[in-house]
Amino acid sequence: MKLVRGMGLILVAVWSLAPFAWLLITSVKPTPELTQLPPLLPSAATGAHYLAVFTGHPFLRIIANSAVVAAASTLLALAIGATAAFALARLRVRHAPLILAAILAVSMFPPIATVSPLFLAINAVGLRDTLMALIVTYTTFALPLAIWLLTNFFRQVPVEIYLAARVDGCSAFQAFTRVILPLSAPGLIAAALLVFIFCWNEFLYALSFTSSPAARTIPVGIALFPGLHVVPWGEIAAASIVVTLPLVVLAFAFQRRIIEGLTAGAVKG
Amino acid sequence: MTNHTPGRNCLIVAVLLLAALFGACKPSGEESSSHPPVVVFKHSKLFGDPRPLAQLLAEFERANPGVRVRAETLPAASDAQHQYYATNLAAGAADFDVFALDVIWVAEFARAGWLRDLSHLLPAAEREAFFRGPIEAVTWEGRAFALPWFMDAGVLYYRKDLLDKNHLAPPRTWDELLHAARTVTRTESGVHGFIWQGKQYEGLVCNALEYLWSHGGEVLRNGQVVLDSAANRAALTFMRELLTSGVTPEFVTTLTEEPAREIFGRGAALFLRNWPYAWRLFEQQGSAVRGKVGVSALPHFIGGKSAATLGGWQLGVNRHSRNPQAAERLAQYLTSPAAQKVLALAYGYNPPRRALYEDPELLAAQPFFAELRAVYERARPRPVTPQYVRLSQVLQAEFSGALAGLKSPSQALIDAQRQAEAILR
Amino acid sequence: MTREHPGLFLAPAAVTLGAVALFPALAVLWLSLEERSPLLAAARFVGFDNYTRLIADARFWNALANTVYFSAVSVALEVLLGLLVALLLARAFRGRALLYSIILLPWAIPTVVSARLWEWLYNADYGVLNYLLGTHVNWLGSPGWALHAAILMDVWKATPFVALLLIAGLQTIPRELYQAAALDGAGAWTTFRRITLPLLVPLLLVVLVFRTIDAFRVFDAIYVLTGGGPANSTETVSIYAYKVLFQALEFGYGSAVAVSVLAVVALLTAVYARLLRGSMT
Repeated sequence: MKLVRGMGLILVAVWSLAPFAWLLITSVKPTPELTQLPPLLPSAATGAHYLAVFTGHPFLRIIANSAVVAAASTLLALAIGATAAFALARLRVRHAPLILAAILAVSMFPPIATVSPLFLAINAVGLRDTLMALIVTYTTFALPLAIWLLTNFFRQVPVEIYLAARVDGCSAFQAFTRVILPLSAPGLIAAALLVFIFCWNEFLYALSFTSSPAARTIPVGIALFPGLHVVPWGEIAAASIVVTLPLVVLAFAFQRRIIEGLTAGAVKG
Repeated sequence: MTNHTPGRNCLIVAVLLLAALFGACKPSGEESSSHPPVVVFKHSKLFGDPRPLAQLLAEFERANPGVRVRAETLPAASDAQHQYYATNLAAGAADFDVFALDVIWVAEFARAGWLRDLSHLLPAAEREAFFRGPIEAVTWEGRAFALPWFMDAGVLYYRKDLLDKNHLAPPRTWDELLHAARTVTRTESGVHGFIWQGKQYEGLVCNALEYLWSHGGEVLRNGQVVLDSAANRAALTFMRELLTSGVTPEFVTTLTEEPAREIFGRGAALFLRNWPYAWRLFEQQGSAVRGKVGVSALPHFIGGKSAATLGGWQLGVNRHSRNPQAAERLAQYLTSPAAQKVLALAYGYNPPRRALYEDPELLAAQPFFAELRAVYERARPRPVTPQYVRLSQVLQAEFSGALAGLKSPSQALIDAQRQAEAILR
Repeated sequence: MTREHPGLFLAPAAVTLGAVALFPALAVLWLSLEERSPLLAAARFVGFDNYTRLIADARFWNALANTVYFSAVSVALEVLLGLLVALLLARAFRGRALLYSIILLPWAIPTVVSARLWEWLYNADYGVLNYLLGTHVNWLGSPGWALHAAILMDVWKATPFVALLLIAGLQTIPRELYQAAALDGAGAWTTFRRITLPLLVPLLLVVLVFRTIDAFRVFDAIYVLTGGGPANSTETVSIYAYKVLFQALEFGYGSAVAVSVLAVVALLTAVYARLLRGSMT
């Protein structure tokens, strides 16, 4: 059984890593060799593409913008979402299923249809070409997922625990923050990671709402690499590696320190 | 460890972020009325050294004191730009003044009321200075709504060395091309006969029209859809035969300009249909086909004439621009002979002005300029109608179906005719 | 016990959604009842004409069929594979945190990049897939293969989404339940069927719903990969809506196409909820 598991893990790792490894190889391949196969590996690794990414574009600024937008949107979406989810999971809310359905309906609209009306609204309040426009949009459209996920995770915490806290004198809010939230850490982290990644990689709204480098985020930045007919594969690969690694590090840090730290002790029921 | 600390840390981080945000959130386009007017120029990234363009804009500022220019780039993908412009202009956005339009959008944008009438910048004498194709493309209902900025047309690239080795002349007719391709691929391994763009996208229509027109067929004649014609059927059948005969590999249905160019650039193809930009890349240091490439007009069908689809970009002025006069001057400046020459030398963008094709410097930089001139004289725009993009979707899907063997060329044209009539009714 | 105030808890979400999402949602619904395009003189209300046009639109049905097939196969594979991956990573082992972040890679790569990456892998001439298999299949250029190529790409990309959530779900199942089952002599499959699966079902429902919604709205990835071709064989409803909205500039009809996505997805969600109703707490 252990062998099967081990092989399964290796398979999963290879399956996830292989295309990414190809991206990595491409990012250090000299330009003439980029579209040739064989050879699989570059004749001599070059850092030229990485250099070009940062010298040819205000890429640090772009990454910073994405970081700010993603972090703020994630925090807001989780804070607002968790609060609402708690009510839907544990408090008496009339028509809770209906409310959940309505919230879900928000996420069912294809973004390509909502981008124009949203653009009009964003324009009207003068938020065009600002990071704020993206934060407001991403927070809103991440809420359905956050609320649904967190409602589910909060419901999994046994109701006795909540009632015990209340009996001990906590207000509903205190029970929420001191008892329910910590016990739902794995779910919170998973939701946070997913929302963060969504914001980090969102393209359509970012393209439509922003135009100057001051408010540009990563996906639009990368979309600006190709010229009219020439696609700089090496640079695109290098940029992709650079912007994906922080997410991986983030996931690693959260999984290792927070979840494993918290679930090292068994969940007392 | 109590559970307060993570919560409080989160709060502190959140507050700091929001503070950073408000600092970062000033819209960069805000100008008070006391500042000099800024003309915003939106274009897709010019691949190469950004300085020549920047210098051009600086010169314009010097010649027009009191006006500042700010250039902003958009992604190169034509679709992404079209979407951006549609979203912004439909909302009446006034935060860009001059912008670059794909040659197929001018009638559409004019009809939508998004472009200023620039007819006064193109009096008869000036119009003569440009090739006919671009002028036709920027004219809608008798008035000019954009200025031609640079142009493209389909050309044939061929491997001189392989043709010479087999004692073949560059083909003038499609039959000659077929014959040459079959001859060479019999003896050379790893070389495809003829590579072009067959993916379902706008480029496919550009390719297909070159066959249709060369056979005497048309899409529109006097405003009527004439897709279902004998000439068109023969042309589309020929395209399909290129695949079935093996002269063109089946994966041509995945190729756009760059992948096609790469195949030829690696030395893996005898013939390539592409835009003139590829020449520079074939002749650069380290290219596998350096010195072995010839360029000519596309072949024609016997009894027809060589046809080339017009490509390129035009400069238009936003109807809602707050600085229309300055914007018009900028558009005029960037399409002036001097500016177009600079852009041609720096970025390889071909000017739409006739006279520049006799300029010694440009001729030295691109030796086949003389042949290009002949091609450009004949370059035809795709149907100039506000509904062109819708029409193109139909053509793309039907031509793609014929190439993939899903339906016969005749059926594809019948279906295209029916749908095109519905669109243009 | 002090009073609970559910309204206060729900207020921030209500305000946010109401302020930002309500307008576009209503706008799309309203636009679908209009004939509106910058290419026409004036917008006019046409009631359900756009919908009758939709029903008669062969291209729409083609897109819908493509989308349903794509979604059904993708989501099924993603949930199955995601569950397998989650089970593999459920229990702690050395290097788990590292593997956890590795499996996230496909989801973390920007869609535009991963689509181009797969376009490259699928290249008929020099793509790695053909190279490794020793074949010359025209993956993206033949109507038979293209949609399946898109499905594989989507499965690769979205399995981490499922896995991540299911791992979190598995991590919150109390260990005592497993210990009790082990004491009772239950085997791995029985434990899974009787303990793990029932406790995961509510989360699985959420995952299924959101993956279905996303699969139905898929646009970027396929658009970059194939542009909807060849011969519209990979044109999904979202791609069709995009072409109608932003290329043909028909804002009214395009909104109707978008609303059709909403309708189908809402229907599917209701079906899911009904099927899994018994397992919801």
